[in-house]
Amino acid sequence: MNLLEIKTLTVRFGGLTAVNTLDLEIQPHEIVSLIGPNGAGKTTVFNAVTGIHEPTRGRIVFKGAEVCRPFHWRTAASLAFFGFVTGNILVFAANIEALWEAAVTAHYQYLKPFPWREAIASVFSYFTANPSAHLEWPLGIGIVVGAGGAYAVWRQSRRAPEIAARAGIARTFQNIRLFDQMTALDNVLLGMDTQLRSRFWHDALRLPLFWREHREAEERAMEMLRFVGLEPEAHRLAENLAYGLQRRLEIARALAMKPQLLLLDEPAAGMNPAETVELMQLIQRIRERGITVFLIEHHMRVVMGISDRIAVLDHGEKIAEGNPQEVRADQRVIAAYLGKRMRDE
Amino acid sequence: MTPFLHRVRFHWILLLLAALIPLLELVLPPGWHFGELLRPIFLMAILGLGLNILTGFTGLLNLGVAAFMAVGAYSYAILTCDIYPFQLGFWSATGLTVLIGLAVGLFLGLPTIRLRGDYLAIVTLGFGEIVQDVLKNLDTITKGTQGINPLPPPTFLGYAFTSEKYQPWYYLFLAFLAIVVLLNRNLQRSRVGRAWISIREDELASACMGINTMKMKLLAFALGAAQCSLAGALWASFLGSSGEPGNYDFQISVMAVCIVIVGGMGSIGGVLLGALVIMGFSRIVLDNFTSFLKAHELVSSTNVLAAPGNWKYLLFGLALILMMRFRPEGLLPSRQVRAELHPGGKSEARNP
Amino acid sequence: MSGSEVFLQELIIGLSNGMIIALIALGYTMVYGIIELINFAHGDLFMLGCFCALTLVGALGLDQLAPNTFGVRGGLLLILLVTPAFCGGLNWLVDRLTYRHLREATKLAPLVSAIGVSFVFMNLGLFWGGLRMAVFGMGRAAAAPKDFPVLISNDNLLGQSAVQFTAKDVMVLIVTLPLMIALTWYTKRTRAGTAMRAVAQDRVAAQLMGIDVDRVIGQTFFIGGLLAGVASVVFALYNNSIHFQMGYRAGIDAFTAAVLGGIGSLPGAVLGGLFIGMARAFCDQYLATRWTNAMVFAILILVLVFRPSGLLGAKQKEKV
Repeated sequence: MNLLEIKTLTVRFGGLTAVNTLDLEIQPHEIVSLIGPNGAGKTTVFNAVTGIHEPTRGRIVFKGAEVCRPFHWRTAASLAFFGFVTGNILVFAANIEALWEAAVTAHYQYLKPFPWREAIASVFSYFTANPSAHLEWPLGIGIVVGAGGAYAVWRQSRRAPEIAARAGIARTFQNIRLFDQMTALDNVLLGMDTQLRSRFWHDALRLPLFWREHREAEERAMEMLRFVGLEPEAHRLAENLAYGLQRRLEIARALAMKPQLLLLDEPAAGMNPAETVELMQLIQRIRERGITVFLIEHHMRVVMGISDRIAVLDHGEKIAEGNPQEVRADQRVIAAYLGKRMRDE
Repeated sequence: MTPFLHRVRFHWILLLLAALIPLLELVLPPGWHFGELLRPIFLMAILGLGLNILTGFTGLLNLGVAAFMAVGAYSYAILTCDIYPFQLGFWSATGLTVLIGLAVGLFLGLPTIRLRGDYLAIVTLGFGEIVQDVLKNLDTITKGTQGINPLPPPTFLGYAFTSEKYQPWYYLFLAFLAIVVLLNRNLQRSRVGRAWISIREDELASACMGINTMKMKLLAFALGAAQCSLAGALWASFLGSSGEPGNYDFQISVMAVCIVIVGGMGSIGGVLLGALVIMGFSRIVLDNFTSFLKAHELVSSTNVLAAPGNWKYLLFGLALILMMRFRPEGLLPSRQVRAELHPGGKSEARNP
Repeated sequence: MSGSEVFLQELIIGLSNGMIIALIALGYTMVYGIIELINFAHGDLFMLGCFCALTLVGALGLDQLAPNTFGVRGGLLLILLVTPAFCGGLNWLVDRLTYRHLREATKLAPLVSAIGVSFVFMNLGLFWGGLRMAVFGMGRAAAAPKDFPVLISNDNLLGQSAVQFTAKDVMVLIVTLPLMIALTWYTKRTRAGTAMRAVAQDRVAAQLMGIDVDRVIGQTFFIGGLLAGVASVVFALYNNSIHFQMGYRAGIDAFTAAVLGGIGSLPGAVLGGLFIGMARAFCDQYLATRWTNAMVFAILILVLVFRPSGLLGAKQKEKV
């Protein structure tokens, strides 16, 4: 079974077609690289997979299910509920003074016990007894606005990145996006958030669940940092780390999510040869842990060295796909991207 | 846990000092008694901490926290005043007010969480306006500009607070402040706090890590509003009245914003310090400035320039401008304390 | 008045007030567009413009003349030149002294500075109100509202019609419309205007193209202040009353209008201003005056729920 299926993916931004009918399949435990000249649309593919961009056409299928919030009957029910609640609130608000007078002022007498039952009863009878009460307009407007607004918010969040993340897809970014003012350890702990179960009251009141999870989480986070070789820097602010270490921290943070699929966007950018070799070993170790890796890279040594398969993108279209040997020799790839020297190496 | 010990100590130090002040007054001459004046500062600090959750931690700029405070004050007043049937005691009324604040925060947050920072700021500004308006207009319930009064004073284990002795009030408010500080601190150093700070730092990356940003922002709104409402409830009990709607205006919101920013965004000790500085400023600097003017007879007493109150805005405004010019990160920014403890220095030049 | 006459009247009132709000909103949105600053002081700058206009009225002795005479017209023209220049210059000065040093700081530092400037302006307005001049009502408290003399007549141009359309409404149109057209021409056709748009879109790239960013920003502040100054004269002539705390209300209306239309968008500010002006007029008439503010806010929320970037605002796309 394919882990990830990109089916006829097309992403258009206004007049610009960034990705054009891309078909790509990724099997579990593979290392697949996506290469191509700058502006070919590689990061856009990543963004579509992780839910940042909405595909203009085509689908992203991960573990057999499409990565978006489907429209359930449950969604329709909650939209209706929302509209209903808003309608009621508006009715209440439109009549609030009159209601207060009917319920409280009419019944309250200083120093005498308050007749709660009658007061509540008069709230209910207010609408039946009172012909001038505002009922239809606020209710109607409330239902329409409430349901419509909820729908608008829901539509916006259909392909929110968090859904892809919770499904098991983690990523790093081309221009490192760490949380600068948090320590390395905190960054990794943040990555682990989806696996933590404590709610805000556990945190605020320091209930036992918090302490249990806290200890386990810190241990796992330190283990993650050890895995990428960052343990000594655990308490350093992310923005104070050296560049190469920041790249590794991003990988650690992504791994903390316990993903099945890891998307690495130019992880070797700006690295010297020694660091590149370490990176390649790291990616192999990630694969050994059972994680599938999908990689964007320009460093040909890395790409050719660790990939099982390579897909080549040019101007948004896939112009070649295959194992490293095949891609190296492909004429179109050479013309568009690699250049003659690569072929001769 | 050592790197955080420094930070943990500071706000507890401030609170401890505050706890000692009434005791010190027992031995100091009357000219040195200023403990009474600190009570409003405690309440503004609670308000500032509420805003801190929204702005300091999560990065959602809220320019209308006075609205939440007003909701708290009026809720407390309606629940305790004897012109209405509820007549709850101090503790249950305060608890209920906090819940009401939570609900109002949610109510405001729901339609606005998708908005970009500056749009949200203007919307919250507008919210501050209309809450004032609504409170004024619904005068059958809120008694309009009269306010709801008188309110019964708080009771604790049978003892009723009075306006003669300020010490019970002092310790009551200080205790509330300490609890709020503790809860905020716990949240900051936990899963929720990390999620909030990540949203402030980089919302998109945070979402890509699986954080449900909408839910976290709503939580920030609700908890921040609840805290501000608490400040309002305590304020109403302190005044013995709900105050009038005009009291909870933009000036209060601005005060809270300045407390958070001047103190150092996101840093709890900073907010406490900020409250002290901002509130203390108007007392100390203003009065001294105008007595200076009068002493040197720089202005005749009928001149508009002579009244001390008339310089309030100018001096405060200048102070803000100067503060931002020379120390925009605030007096006690949260990360600076960390950075001080890591002399490793900045990273190499980043790849652009 | 018949139903349609009421409607027409509200339309006129809404349009006139809306144009004034639009002018203030324009100045505010221009500054926001270029440095993403919520300029709190903008409303108070508007207020200072009103005080400046009143001072000039007193200095020129216009309050002694009958309205609509040649002397008054000439004097008004002078005021329409001097007051905007004053406001523009003041705005430019404030940028030069305060915001310029905060270009690299976090976004909240300029915001708090703007709050500080707003307070300073407001206090200046208070002091200004104590000026010993006849037009300021000698002997009255400095903090009291000041009457602005009626220099444009209130007579209904439509004769005996129930609907009121006065010279004031005409004045609003003939001042604001050409100004907006001139502004559009400036931003779209001149080099300075294009430089402004460039800096608003990408400051670093503009710098790399050789644009003096600080100068362009200063120019933007000047133009923004200019617009506030014009709005202040028009407002004072239309409403005949000024007060040192009026800047806050005007500011809120302007911010709301700008946000409604999409901050940073000039047509959006105009649209938002007109929208707010009309909404206010219609709410005042058909609902109840005390609920107008809440209604306007509700409309704002409603629009933003469905269009989070405002009516004409550009959707912010983040580069990932």
